[in-house]
Amino acid sequence: MSTEEELVARCLAGDQDAWNDLVRIYSRYVFAICSQGYRLQGADAEDAFQDVFVRVYGRLGTLRNPEALRPWIAQLTRRVCLDRIAAGKREEPSDVEASDVEATIEELDEAFAVREALEELPEECQEVLDRFFCRDESYRTIGEELGLPSGTIASRISRCLARLRQRLEG
Amino acid sequence: MSSQPPDPTRGAGFAAGRTAAAAARLVADVARASQDSWPDAPGVVAQANALSERLEVLAEADADVFAAALVALATPSAELERHMQRAAALPLEIAEASSDVAALAATVAERCDGLVRADAAGAAALAAGAAAAAAHLVRANLTVKPDDPRLQQALRAADDARYSASRTLEADV
Repeated sequence: MSTEEELVARCLAGDQDAWNDLVRIYSRYVFAICSQGYRLQGADAEDAFQDVFVRVYGRLGTLRNPEALRPWIAQLTRRVCLDRIAAGKREEPSDVEASDVEATIEELDEAFAVREALEELPEECQEVLDRFFCRDESYRTIGEELGLPSGTIASRISRCLARLRQRLEG
Repeated sequence: MSSQPPDPTRGAGFAAGRTAAAAARLVADVARASQDSWPDAPGVVAQANALSERLEVLAEADADVFAAALVALATPSAELERHMQRAAALPLEIAEASSDVAALAATVAERCDGLVRADAAGAAALAAGAAAAAAHLVRANLTVKPDDPRLQQALRAADDARYSASRTLEADV
């Protein structure tokens, strides 16, 4: 059983922890679609975010393929955002190009997949990749923090990236 | 001749950042050309690209911060110290990132195809020059004293970069 299947099964069985996990895993994804894809701001973005998870809660039983949980949530989010734009008329739907939204969701999907793959790597790989690519730390700083010779950091990063790539390519 | 007036805020810090960014792109190109024979090459390309992007951002930020510091110097106020502190922080970051580019170039020079080894050595030299220039800017900042840890850090980055470059250049002759 895949991680998504298991999560969906636990949610449908009424496991509150599973619902908390679902919200934790997908909250940034949903919020990014609302704010970056459909450019909803402030209270609009927050209300749309709430609506999405209310709908997920109410309709999860209709999801036919639990492995498609993420695209299903993305589709629900699209509908919620378009409803909100149409109802509020704060922004004409034509101002938000469908192709831009799809491109944003594609980027978010990719980022999400990378994050998932990263979480499956050993702790030391997660640490070194996070420090170099996300925190912009120098090889010397990383070496000092992790107690490793700074001359070995670049090759360590390369090896960890190779493992990440293997995970992503399945 | 160009009639555009010189822009004093796009000075050595900006140039150092852009130079090291160009060196990082060169490192990425050399590593990419060696992918068939070197399994670590794709990872090196990713690191070089990340360093290039980081240095481009730092170069622009340095120009903005230095411009603000010049204005503050012309009209001294309580804000002057803060502006000068920020004007020292950016060159330090540029020195450290440039040193990383030189180190990566040295690694690439050891493993790349012989046809492009001179390019890797050239990239190391460019990055070392950028690190030295950036470290000098930290030293020249009015708020930085000789025993300031930031200065020690910048000089160490420049030394590391110089070592990487000299090792690489000597190996390439």
